[in-house]
Amino acid sequence: MKRLFCFAVAALLISTAAHARVKLVALPERARVVVSLSHPDQTLVEEERLITLQKGVNKVDFSWRGVSIDSSSIQVRALSHPNDVKVLNTSYPPNENALVWEIASPAAQEERVRISYLLSGITREVTYRAVAEPNEQSMTLRNYLRLHNNSGEDLTEAEVALGYGSSFKKTIAHEEVLEMLSERIEALPVKKVLMWDSATLPWDPEYQKNTIGIPLNYVLTNDKPHKLGTHTLLPGKVRIFIKTKDQPAKEGEQVGEGVAFTGEDWAQLTPVDREMKLYIGQSRDVKVTQRRTKDERTNIRRNTANQDVLWDKDEIYKIEIENFKKEAISLTLIEHVPGYWKMVENSHAPQFKKKDAFTFEYNLTLPAESTGDKKTTVTFELNRLNVQGNEPQGY
Amino acid sequence: MKSFLRTVSGKVGEWESGERPSLTHRLTHSLTYFAALATALLATTTHARINVVTLPDRDSVQLTIYNSADLTLVKETRHLTFRKGLNKLEFSWANTLIDPTSVEFRALSHADEVEVADVSFPPRVTNTLEWRINSEFAGDVVVEIRYFTSGLSWSADYVAEASKDEKLIDFSGAVRVNNNSGEDYENAQVRLVVGVIRLVEDIANLARAGKPGMPTTVAAMSAPAPAAAPARRLNEAFFAMDSAEKSASAKPREIIREGVSEYFMYTVEGRDTIPNGWSKRMPSFRAEKVPITSYYKFEKERFGDQVIRYYQFTNSVANKLGNEPLPDGFVKAFRFVTDDLLYAFVGSTGVKYIPVNEFVELELGNDQEVSVKPTMMDWQKIDISFNALGDVIGWTEKQTWQFEVQNSKDIPVVLDIRRNFSGDWTLTTNAKYDKVDANKVKFVVPLKPREKQAFTYEVVTKHGTNKTR
Repeated sequence: MKRLFCFAVAALLISTAAHARVKLVALPERARVVVSLSHPDQTLVEEERLITLQKGVNKVDFSWRGVSIDSSSIQVRALSHPNDVKVLNTSYPPNENALVWEIASPAAQEERVRISYLLSGITREVTYRAVAEPNEQSMTLRNYLRLHNNSGEDLTEAEVALGYGSSFKKTIAHEEVLEMLSERIEALPVKKVLMWDSATLPWDPEYQKNTIGIPLNYVLTNDKPHKLGTHTLLPGKVRIFIKTKDQPAKEGEQVGEGVAFTGEDWAQLTPVDREMKLYIGQSRDVKVTQRRTKDERTNIRRNTANQDVLWDKDEIYKIEIENFKKEAISLTLIEHVPGYWKMVENSHAPQFKKKDAFTFEYNLTLPAESTGDKKTTVTFELNRLNVQGNEPQGY
Repeated sequence: MKSFLRTVSGKVGEWESGERPSLTHRLTHSLTYFAALATALLATTTHARINVVTLPDRDSVQLTIYNSADLTLVKETRHLTFRKGLNKLEFSWANTLIDPTSVEFRALSHADEVEVADVSFPPRVTNTLEWRINSEFAGDVVVEIRYFTSGLSWSADYVAEASKDEKLIDFSGAVRVNNNSGEDYENAQVRLVVGVIRLVEDIANLARAGKPGMPTTVAAMSAPAPAAAPARRLNEAFFAMDSAEKSASAKPREIIREGVSEYFMYTVEGRDTIPNGWSKRMPSFRAEKVPITSYYKFEKERFGDQVIRYYQFTNSVANKLGNEPLPDGFVKAFRFVTDDLLYAFVGSTGVKYIPVNEFVELELGNDQEVSVKPTMMDWQKIDISFNALGDVIGWTEKQTWQFEVQNSKDIPVVLDIRRNFSGDWTLTTNAKYDKVDANKVKFVVPLKPREKQAFTYEVVTKHGTNKTR
């Protein structure tokens, strides 16, 4: 599968073209290779070669084997004498991975040419590894690029450009997978938030056999104040570790520093100024109990067959939250209400945030060890209006 | 070696179809003429009744290739020697798809003295016709033969190289001629026609029929499709290309453009040789620093949640283009990302035929760096109406939407957000919008580098008996 690029350069002297001189002048080595991965689906390779041109029209034969090149994407540009050296035409022979350029040169000279093409088989993957501080307020984030080369081609000292940041030089053989650190951010602020969603979690833990785990998320913000914000964060797997103390093997030795794995998630594409939410595990030290304490139909309108055709509803909800942890923690309660509704009473108006027509949240901070009498209680009363039983829940 | 022309002595049909030029001729001539004189002296050359006395060179071949149909008009001129009285000229071909109903003959010199009496498609053979020509002139006559063939095609392609800030592009076009006709065309003048030609019958089918009125299925056996192109023989086919280009110029050849009726024709300067199976791509034009708008579109019904990037420009003189309509073809777009002009691949797309002064949009695919987040922030059902039975028969729906738009790029962009509504709807907003049609509006939002904006609108839709339209 080793790729073969072949250059044959033949000079055609204008005056005596009938006796065209065919001359293989060189199989020029690549002077530079640049791999651009800025497009999400395509890999653009640009390579520079030094070729020797005769005065007049030269035929430059470019062929390949064992690699998949989009032949319609191949371009050649003269770099040394861009204004004088001209590509006259390109010919494509039948049943071959090849093409022939006719390049006119005003003098016998060496020319550096840059050949660009789209190459299949080079894929990239982004992975993240983060080590959180024990207080979970910051972490060290390392961003790795994993290149898979199944192109058929060994790339030697290739400059890899990602579309952001500076490019770097790497050698990657065919069928090699190369992982490299592309970014490292120390003391990256992170927010740890538990998310309790009334649509997916049981309301009353008393009726559950197991302790309910509340999804635990780390939230990163891709902006400058949070030490990011230079580029869009690409999707990839994030593995999160937390610093631990390693107990000494022998008495009297110093406590070592180690890590424990706390979970992983797929990061979504996160443009600058957006939040990246990583669901990495569950917390079972926070208990949420939600109950509907009032559920009444009012203002009922019936048809002549005495069927309810339209009504309003008066609903009251009470949510009791206990934090058994020794630290305060953020909790987001997510509530869903279909159709047309109005909030009538709200115990935590400052923490309330409407997310969309049918969803709202409470962003709470639960004090440490807020259990029993110290538990947090959220209540709200809703009026649902003009209900017919066919209300939309999403859009 | 595919088509032959010869003058014939004796009666129509007396020639033998097995008679073919020698191998040498097959390798060196594409379309070969045999001018024959019917003299007893020469009748001894072979067992055949056809007497080859001259092999006049083809003076010129002109290919007029259409891009909308598998159709090429071939025009060739030759010098032939006529005698006074009746002359018979046979024209035959093999392994190439010539429409027999399209073959025409005319004298270019002594035109008033040379006249085609009739044309015969002889029995028991296909891919052959014979002209009976009355000449009042004896001697050298320049003739023209025209016919339709299939298997030659051409296409246009373009490269757009955008500046770093995506405000300008260098736009270059090329034409690529593909020869799968079964015939090597040497030293041919190439003309390319842009336009939609109506054909009531397929040229390749007519060609397979071998003669007028024959069913194509029968003839297909006797006239196979063009042979697959042989693999390249470097020193033969490849460098044979040179011979045609005796005047090989060190300058890119000019492509002359002209409008013809509803069509547009490119004539490639000079002569080209395109062996069977080969393609040849030639630069057609290059326009530098064409101003463009980096335009982004969002329309849920069309693109889902994606924002699609476009380069927009006008094919006008003011924009450094506008010298010609641009034929449909494929565009590959790159952006210069470094000072030494390294590329980033932006995308590739098909482009429609673009008349002069027409606005062009190159659709270059999703760009995740420009985002649109629509959120329905409120939903109300109001103004309920009932019928006499007390059932709900009319209501009004009020939706409030918020759009967050964000440009994460380092260059300014323009974002075009389209929303579709139905029924009896009314839109209220402080944001500027245009109505595209009865049920579609667009919000055009210019965004600076790294800018975020938000706008809201309210749409009220009346249903049932509340509807007024």
